[in-house]
Amino acid sequence: MNRLADQETIARPSRSWAAVREDLAKIPAFFRRDLFVLWSYRVSFFSDWINLIVQVLLFYFLNRLIPPDRLPTYGGRQVSYIEWVTVALVVTTFMQVTLGHLLSTLRQEQLMGTLESLLVTPTAATTIQLGSVTYDLLYVPVRTTLFLVIMSVVFGVDFQLSGLVPTVAILAVFIPCMWGLGLMGAASVITVRRGSGVAGIAVTGLTLASGAYFPIEYLPAWLQELAQYNPIALALEGARQAMLADAGWSVIWPTILKLAPMAVVSLALGMAAFRLALEHERRRGTIGLY
Amino acid sequence: MPSGDRSFYLRISGLENLVFFGRLCGFNRPQAIRRAWECLKDVDLEEAAKRPVGLYSHGMQKRLSVARALLMDPAVLFVDEATHDLDPEGALRVQRLISASAERGTAVIWATQRLDEIPGFARSVTLLDRGRVRFAGSVPALMAISTVRRYLVQLRSDRARPDKLLSTAQVALGTMGTIEPSYGSAEAYYLVCLADEVALGDALASITASGIRILACREERSGIESAFLRLTGNDPQ
Repeated sequence: MNRLADQETIARPSRSWAAVREDLAKIPAFFRRDLFVLWSYRVSFFSDWINLIVQVLLFYFLNRLIPPDRLPTYGGRQVSYIEWVTVALVVTTFMQVTLGHLLSTLRQEQLMGTLESLLVTPTAATTIQLGSVTYDLLYVPVRTTLFLVIMSVVFGVDFQLSGLVPTVAILAVFIPCMWGLGLMGAASVITVRRGSGVAGIAVTGLTLASGAYFPIEYLPAWLQELAQYNPIALALEGARQAMLADAGWSVIWPTILKLAPMAVVSLALGMAAFRLALEHERRRGTIGLY
Repeated sequence: MPSGDRSFYLRISGLENLVFFGRLCGFNRPQAIRRAWECLKDVDLEEAAKRPVGLYSHGMQKRLSVARALLMDPAVLFVDEATHDLDPEGALRVQRLISASAERGTAVIWATQRLDEIPGFARSVTLLDRGRVRFAGSVPALMAISTVRRYLVQLRSDRARPDKLLSTAQVALGTMGTIEPSYGSAEAYYLVCLADEVALGDALASITASGIRILACREERSGIESAFLRLTGNDPQ
């Protein structure tokens, strides 16, 4: 509905693949925005790495406390706690981006008042969500790689390089699964404003019962049962099998096949919930409320 | 164009903000940059273009908001209370920017509670009260609805003592209306309420004939305000 578009100075979106492509072309703008915003808080660049080092030191000392025989073996090999927990740190970092960061970004946009401005542009809500975490999706793999190098060089953590590709494959289905949960959380942020708290409790519960920081065997029996359906637990176990035991695809595939339908359902529910939440708030004219 | 000014990324520059929103509107980056500069020039923010928006004054942020609204050279522009929190000069500046856009062919829908800005600015008015349309038409048609009966007058008398001025004026008015001190001060300003069918000129002539000079006379509230109150059923008259 603009005269420049009528003059074909800019392309008019239509309900087609071209419209999707045009929307995806907007993603770099989000990256640039977030880079500039983050760079304006220069300290946060460094505080992230300081936090990482503190986290590594914490687990290093825990590593000295926890005897390896309290942990499961991988490929018949007894792994140290720091090896075991490093894989969890990698997987949960991706989870934090797709889930935690999506929610916090949305909430921040809501509080700053920019959410309404974003939503009045001819940009799909999905593109806005994807754009909001693009910076992190690009930054986190770089950060994770450096983290793994530091862990290998400084702490002698022994990872199977051949396990990297299977781990990436697991993450490729795990991330959409978490994304779906993130969208459900985002829907609650849009409708009840402080919904991120509810989502946070759910994620904390899932993480607690995932075997991220201690083996599942120490959980009550009923929680161990539930862990079989916990996507975080499945992804963690698959990634550990890949990176610590060098397990072949025959071991990894079942994990991927279990996570894939979860990802489909989670994404479908998340997108539907988010769309409904937006429609509801638009109808009420309360998108700008926070 | 949203009413609040909390709609920009305060840590990045006005230019970067406009380029970002331009990209979301479908421009490629070179187009977005070019268009952002054009719009910044239109709202006289070229010099502040590279400063973080957080350092902009309230009026500057509002002008940036206008610039963003003009990015796509829209066919229809919804403006939500753009001037409600601006000083008169800032409000006038925003009005002029939007007027210029309207002159270029944009249909502007201007939502406001500042009724005084409507005359001379809006071409037609729709009056909403609790979600219901109470009036739709031209500004003169809206003002014609009002029947102003209350006037603020400034009086002085060389003959009557100041404490007798009010009673002298009331006697002069007789049944044409009532007069009472205004703004809590009996010094010079009075509120004249005319009875139905009484012409203002006749009432003022009677007061003048009693030896009281009328230094100034104006409607207590604007015609448009009176019309609004009448249409919404809140007219105290």
